[in-house]
Amino acid sequence: MPEIPSKDDPRTTFRYPLRWRIMDALNNGLDRFWPARMSPYTGWALIMPALLLVGLLVLGLFEMAESSLHTLDRATFLPSEAYTLENYQTVIESATYGRVVTRSVFAAGLTVFFTLLLALPYAYIMVRTTSSVVRKTLLVVLFLPFFIGQVVRAYGLLIILGTTGVANNALGLVGIEPIRLLFNFPAVVFGLVQYMLPFAVLMLAPALTAIPRETETAASSLGANWLQSFRHVVIPMAKPGLIGAGLVVGTLALTDFAMPAMLGGGSQDFIANAIYDQFFRTADQGLGAALALLLVVLGSVIVGVVISIFGAGTLGMGGKK
Amino acid sequence: MSKKYSRRSVLRAGLATSGAALLTSMPASRLLAQEPEKPSEIIVRAWGGEWVESLKKGVSDRFTEMTGIAVRHDLTEDNEIQPKVWAAVAQGRVPPIHINWDTTTNATKSALRGVTEDISDLPNLANTTDLAKPVGLEGYPLVNTYGYVYVLAYRPEAFPDGAPKSWRDLLDPKFKGRIALYNDGIGFHFPAQVAGGGSLDDIPDNMDACWSFVREMKEQNPLLGEDPDFTTWFQNGEIDAACTISTNALAAKKNGVELAWTVPEEGCKFDTDCLWIPKGLPENELYWAKQYINLALSQESQQIWLDGLGLPGVIPGLTPPEGLAGDPSYPTEPADFEHLIRISSAVQVQNESDWFAKFKEIMQG
Repeated sequence: MPEIPSKDDPRTTFRYPLRWRIMDALNNGLDRFWPARMSPYTGWALIMPALLLVGLLVLGLFEMAESSLHTLDRATFLPSEAYTLENYQTVIESATYGRVVTRSVFAAGLTVFFTLLLALPYAYIMVRTTSSVVRKTLLVVLFLPFFIGQVVRAYGLLIILGTTGVANNALGLVGIEPIRLLFNFPAVVFGLVQYMLPFAVLMLAPALTAIPRETETAASSLGANWLQSFRHVVIPMAKPGLIGAGLVVGTLALTDFAMPAMLGGGSQDFIANAIYDQFFRTADQGLGAALALLLVVLGSVIVGVVISIFGAGTLGMGGKK
Repeated sequence: MSKKYSRRSVLRAGLATSGAALLTSMPASRLLAQEPEKPSEIIVRAWGGEWVESLKKGVSDRFTEMTGIAVRHDLTEDNEIQPKVWAAVAQGRVPPIHINWDTTTNATKSALRGVTEDISDLPNLANTTDLAKPVGLEGYPLVNTYGYVYVLAYRPEAFPDGAPKSWRDLLDPKFKGRIALYNDGIGFHFPAQVAGGGSLDDIPDNMDACWSFVREMKEQNPLLGEDPDFTTWFQNGEIDAACTISTNALAAKKNGVELAWTVPEEGCKFDTDCLWIPKGLPENELYWAKQYINLALSQESQQIWLDGLGLPGVIPGLTPPEGLAGDPSYPTEPADFEHLIRISSAVQVQNESDWFAKFKEIMQG
């Protein structure tokens, strides 16, 4: 007959692990702080920091909206007491702002196009390569620019593309006289594409990873060559990544300040540069605020149009496809 | 904030004693007991490069040596510090700087807004020329510290026939893309008014001639930038000529760039920079900020500071820096001002925004 251990036998004493105790304590603490009856509101609690952040932004926008309704009194350099839409009228009637807005939107569009054109093959190779060396090299090359700020990168381009820079020196080797590569619209777009490329690749990579390799194999087995498979299988399936990357690149380019300021030679201003001028050069905060709100509205409308065309589901948000 | 001293008592007791002490290089240990508490540092907003180096050498280092108070230079752009100071004063906060080294036009806006301290009780003001006095303002809400000329700086090798005689010489097709102006056109509006066939008397009511000439200049695809850009562009061979403050040309020349400058027949804009103190400082810090400005108006400080900048000061009897005596960028005698254009700050303050907007409209086209 087997021996029945007594109550005091150490073999019957269960040792409760320390990490369990800690977890229990945390659980108890959480129960007191956030009782079970509050569980329907847990989602709201988690989203609260984001709401606070957006709330602060909206408050700031209200402040700016209020500021935009006052003109600058040049006798005292204080905002006028009266409420008026004069600043908006100035923006609408100004040929300069019309050109600046058009240029900003056009440049953002070009930047999106060229960035996605370069980012898609880069991300595809990075995701699909079987060589870890190639993948790691592509990742390092991708991340390296993140450690260098936008301004420093723009200065780098000033050095490379300058009249006496590396690019012109290379052209000189084949007998071409130095040409002005900087301080024009193409230079600004080039700088923006160079700046945005890592963002786009990082947004495209997960979308491409989510495409099963087998779908491409299936396309090949049905007679599609690589190009057909890429065009008819990969690109449609990568649409959420392409739209998401396009939106991020587009909005960042639309609101950019540094590239047009540094590579545009002073004559290729974007909306952000015009806003800066009003806030800091002419001290006209009302007009600056009106321009800033215009930029917010413009960006929101563009994003809204893109989402309404492609659907939120395209971005993987669970809406209609 | 120290509450032990009222502003007036501090000024009465302090300026009469330690102000004189500063001027005679009296060591800090001998400054008199009634001086207000010394802050650990005072913050002076300044422009970078040659500008801040000259200020440091001529004023800040001497101030520290005499008082033991460290001077920190805040290199935030003058246009960017302005809204910060305005906001601080409006909200009753202590402003982010003790002293603003500013353009007189910008400072006049601050004075009109009422954010500047009155500094008319500085002892050294008695030794200054008329140039120090702000025009169109009551008392001394700011004090001009030197004058400067927006010269036509050029690379001599690009002008083999000698210095350009007229601003119109820049319209030669060979200078397309090789000219630089300030990105708001500052310094260029007034000579452009003359070069465009207009009259200075028509400023500000009729500046069609100015805009006509700016449009002609636009066809040359000029580069538009700020002070540091001009030096960089000259150094990198990007430009052959620029309308810029002579100090920038001098800095580029000191850095080995072959450069010269001239005042063309239409003239060049002459303007001033100044120092001012924002409202809202604690009494003791206000006192020492005033002492700093007082020192900046002393003969020795002006001499060292402005030797570095290559600019004429507001104290009589300064010796021109080497090579600048008789230079058009260093006007001292009435005859030197014949080809220089000086428009009152009041007119500039009232119209500057419109001029900037018009210049932008043309250049952004």
